[in-house]
Amino acid sequence: MDGIIKDYKRQFGTLLGLLGLITIFWILSPYFMTFSNFLNIALQTSINAIIAIGMTFVIISGGIDLSVGSIVALAGVTTAGSLQAGLPIPVAIIIGIGMGFLCGAVNGFLIGWGNLPPFISTLGMMSIARGSALLFTNGRPISGFSKSFRFFAEGQVLIFPMPVFVMIVLYIFMHFVLNRTKLGRYTYAIGGNEEAAVLSGIHVKLYKVFIYGLCGMLSGVAAILLTARLNSAQPIAGIMYELDAIAAAVIGGTSLMGGEGMLVGTLIGALIMGVLQNGLNILGVSSFIQQTIIGAVIIIAVLIDMLLKKRK
Amino acid sequence: MKKMFTPIFLILLLILAVNCQRNQQRNTDKPTIAFIMKTLNNPFFIDMQQGAKKAADSLDVNLIIQAAEREVDVERQLQIVENMIQRKVSAICISPSGSREIVPGIVKANRAGIPVFVVDTRVDSETMQEAGGHITTFIGSDNEDGGRLAAEYIIDKLEGKGKVAVLEGIPGHETGDARLRGFTETVGNEPGIEIVTSQTANWERSQGFIVFQNILQSDPDVEALFACNDMMALGAVEAIKAAGKTGEIIVVGFDAVEDSREAIQEGVMDATIAQHPYMMGYIAVEKVVEKLKNKSIQDEIPVKIELINREKL
Repeated sequence: MDGIIKDYKRQFGTLLGLLGLITIFWILSPYFMTFSNFLNIALQTSINAIIAIGMTFVIISGGIDLSVGSIVALAGVTTAGSLQAGLPIPVAIIIGIGMGFLCGAVNGFLIGWGNLPPFISTLGMMSIARGSALLFTNGRPISGFSKSFRFFAEGQVLIFPMPVFVMIVLYIFMHFVLNRTKLGRYTYAIGGNEEAAVLSGIHVKLYKVFIYGLCGMLSGVAAILLTARLNSAQPIAGIMYELDAIAAAVIGGTSLMGGEGMLVGTLIGALIMGVLQNGLNILGVSSFIQQTIIGAVIIIAVLIDMLLKKRK
Repeated sequence: MKKMFTPIFLILLLILAVNCQRNQQRNTDKPTIAFIMKTLNNPFFIDMQQGAKKAADSLDVNLIIQAAEREVDVERQLQIVENMIQRKVSAICISPSGSREIVPGIVKANRAGIPVFVVDTRVDSETMQEAGGHITTFIGSDNEDGGRLAAEYIIDKLEGKGKVAVLEGIPGHETGDARLRGFTETVGNEPGIEIVTSQTANWERSQGFIVFQNILQSDPDVEALFACNDMMALGAVEAIKAAGKTGEIIVVGFDAVEDSREAIQEGVMDATIAQHPYMMGYIAVEKVVEKLKNKSIQDEIPVKIELINREKL
């Protein structure tokens, strides 16, 4: 028990922060602390949380991915376009997720073999993917899908709305990948010390393709859930999603210097953002103040993180 | 670790107690209305917000105004609707960021038994029907009326006789089509006025310039222009300038954007059609209160739309 707590010390702090927030909203509003609102928050968090999984991998590897929001848009419209062209749902989904993987893999390739800084490569991809999405749709949303596709938003598994279920499954699975597989361990190794990773025989370039590809793929998954949720795929969807995903990872204790971070933390980070938005909405706080508060929370979370590290 | 649990547990108990009390007090409170705008960094919606606040003050109801940070963020707007349902508001007024994308939110509100009032931008009726959602009413300006106003102004200025050109929006956009319908119907009743050409300039200023330059070539005796939005009208104004015909052709736009107000002030453009977001906000809250008192509400509530020319600036 002691060992586990030490490993998760930083995440435990984030968890306390989340519980603190919940407590505050519970005091302030009688509408907050209900089971249906918790499911509601989980539903609203799911899309950001899923993108943030990939972002956590990328950040742990010492990089950053600014293109996820645009990839969400592109994967969304390609899925929607495939559905409207009459392709079966599983094929459309594979096309969407595949499109996400492709964009991510190109990022990884440019960063690994092209030696481009991740910031530049993914900034370029942000524009390319967005432009392609607009081109593909002529700037108009594609909407109206079958009931069975909308099941990805409206369906339920056990008590969970489908997007929440997908989120939970992905977190469990990706936690395993990050901690128990080569890909996961190499991700930490590359972010901790890239030169050492190269010297110890890790094919760093190739693994970067995998890591960014994974991030793109998860954006593709998020895109499908978003499209089903809105019953529409917009070429202008996902603007600024990258910042929400980065914020979730960073609040959850992932270090922007690389080599450090855990998915549990990212999930809690995403939930903190979801709870904040939900709680502030319910209290009727002005949307300008909401933005300010969310910004402050990000800064405070990282500040606390740094203070804790110094004390160690 | 163990030491911390006791105080935390006590605090939680305390909060629970406070909370229960609050719940009881709440029941006697006045109704709360959620008003969800597209965004709050657009003058149109700031006016709408002020109208809604004024109505809420004078009718003594609580008002929660929320908006996404970006006008196009349909997911965020859906989230706000969901959060307002959790807040158990008495009614939701919404100006949809996406005519189709908001439908799942409306259906959820329906299920929770919360009446929905749509303001300014219509919900796509086909999507609504398919999803089985319904709204109490639509509060907004009738674009057809706007087209009629523009037609009446031009008929009046030309004294019932002359040649008119029209710049249309992107075909298939309901807003533009309605404006055009109102205009052509009214002009059609006036035998002295002839629409010599009606072409699209895709809502754009640059295309308005090019298309109207061509019109000036093919129909040099055009005396008036109605453009379905101000951007196209402003483009046409440039074309008129380039042809040295400023002041000879009557130009009427639509939307009353800042640039067109300036152009009207300068005298290079004649009039534009303005909507009244303040009234939309005010009327929406007023109608919610009527609905909460179980009065019946019309399916559609038109809000005044008016023509602005130099005298009215």
